[in-house]
Amino acid sequence: LPAGGVPLRLCGTRAAREGINKPVIDRIIRVDHAGEYGANRIYAGQMAVLGRSSVGPIIQQMWNQEKDHLKKFNELMVAYRVRPTVLLPFWNVAGFVLGAGSALLGKKGAMACTVAVEESISDHYNSQIRTLMEEDPEKYKELLQIIKQFRDDEREHHDIGLEHDAEAAPAYSVLKTAIQLGCKAAIFLSERI
Amino acid sequence: KMAAAAAISLRRAGWRLWQGHAVIMCQLCPLQRPLQASAVLRRVSEEQKKEPLASSSQQQFDSHPAEHKPEKEPQGPRPSYTGQGGQESEDYESEEQLQHRILTAALEFVPEHGWTAEAIAEGAKTLGLSAAAAGMFHSDGSELILHFVSQCNTKLSGLLEQEQKLVQLGEAEKKPTDQFLRDAVEARLRMLVPYIEKWPQALSILLLPHNIPSSLNLLTSMIDDIWHYAGDQSTDFNWYTRRAVLTGIYNTTELVMMQDSSPDFEDTWRFLENRVADATNMGNTANQVQSTGEAVIQGLMGAAVTVSSAESPELQG
Repeated sequence: LPAGGVPLRLCGTRAAREGINKPVIDRIIRVDHAGEYGANRIYAGQMAVLGRSSVGPIIQQMWNQEKDHLKKFNELMVAYRVRPTVLLPFWNVAGFVLGAGSALLGKKGAMACTVAVEESISDHYNSQIRTLMEEDPEKYKELLQIIKQFRDDEREHHDIGLEHDAEAAPAYSVLKTAIQLGCKAAIFLSERI
Repeated sequence: KMAAAAAISLRRAGWRLWQGHAVIMCQLCPLQRPLQASAVLRRVSEEQKKEPLASSSQQQFDSHPAEHKPEKEPQGPRPSYTGQGGQESEDYESEEQLQHRILTAALEFVPEHGWTAEAIAEGAKTLGLSAAAAGMFHSDGSELILHFVSQCNTKLSGLLEQEQKLVQLGEAEKKPTDQFLRDAVEARLRMLVPYIEKWPQALSILLLPHNIPSSLNLLTSMIDDIWHYAGDQSTDFNWYTRRAVLTGIYNTTELVMMQDSSPDFEDTWRFLENRVADATNMGNTANQVQSTGEAVIQGLMGAAVTVSSAESPELQG
């Protein structure tokens, strides 16, 4: 019998991988993995600045959920043999800088950043759900379930951000637009490279 | 004279009618294409018979065009799917499959003719086709080489898959990574041995600009396969580092193999072993450097805290 769970997983996932639209699934998993990785780094940056403040526990809780998301996508990435985006080191730094930068604007600034990012991510997950539903809801049932669950989690983060006075942040609309533009660019690039 | 001219023009008209007929058939029925391909082969061979060529290979050709591929394909461009054996449309072969068969057959002539249209022509002839079938392919032998590489990669995947199954069933020991990589690369390079004389030629053709996308694709998917079966589960930048390193090892070992004259290429395998060991060491060294760096920083931080608290005794209780 195999020593670890890994070989069994490799064997089982062969079947999971046949008959799927590989280019579409590749893109979806690659960009989602990059997104969760970036979100992780954003929360890490926010915690570095605001970890000991009153919103520390909230941010920590959201961060923990993102860590779970990232773990799930790591598994999916191995199962579907998807290549990670080559920009990961860049998202590593950029995410942390965004998180820390927005946190330096204060607690409301950090919440505004959270709202902007989570809104982008929810929209993005929604369009992926639409794509998969158009392709074949039955074939991609597991993936759809995961993405729906994560979309709901991100929506929840978005609402938490609003509850904590994100809209009262300095230059809220400018900040939000800028961050969402950045997210769109990140999504575009991570899908392809 | 008039009669001769009339006869020639009649023959030409008949040829054009034939061509027109073929074109119409093509347009009416896209499935006719593979039949057209073989019809073209037969037509061309008939033309060649009418004008005896200097090449001796043509003279070996039979006068009867109808006995090609006895298991399938009707004679002439008739839209019938029943072959000579009365078999139905399961014998319908796509052009791609036909090309695969020709290229596979051509491989046995590569040691003699190199990766050239001659080898393809010889291969086509063993299948009972006209030597002009080589006209289906690029004249520099690119498709033949790419076909061969693709075949080797598929064979390698099969081998690795089987090995994995044995490990899963507990019938074999799981190899350590460096051993696995060495064995996989060696297995793949050994597939070149029958063609080793002509392989440098193949390598240079694969580097031609119009071949680079395909050859790069084949190379990267092979390296990815090897790492996958080696158990690589990285999802960060290591994914790229590992594949880049293995690609480097594979390419350099391949080049060494071209110039190796030792018995059974033992110099090559020793080179491979050293390169894989180097790569493993580099990975370990990188980790060590990182740990050492972290330890040094922690030491400095500790020293700074100690010094600052020593300099301000009034802050201490």
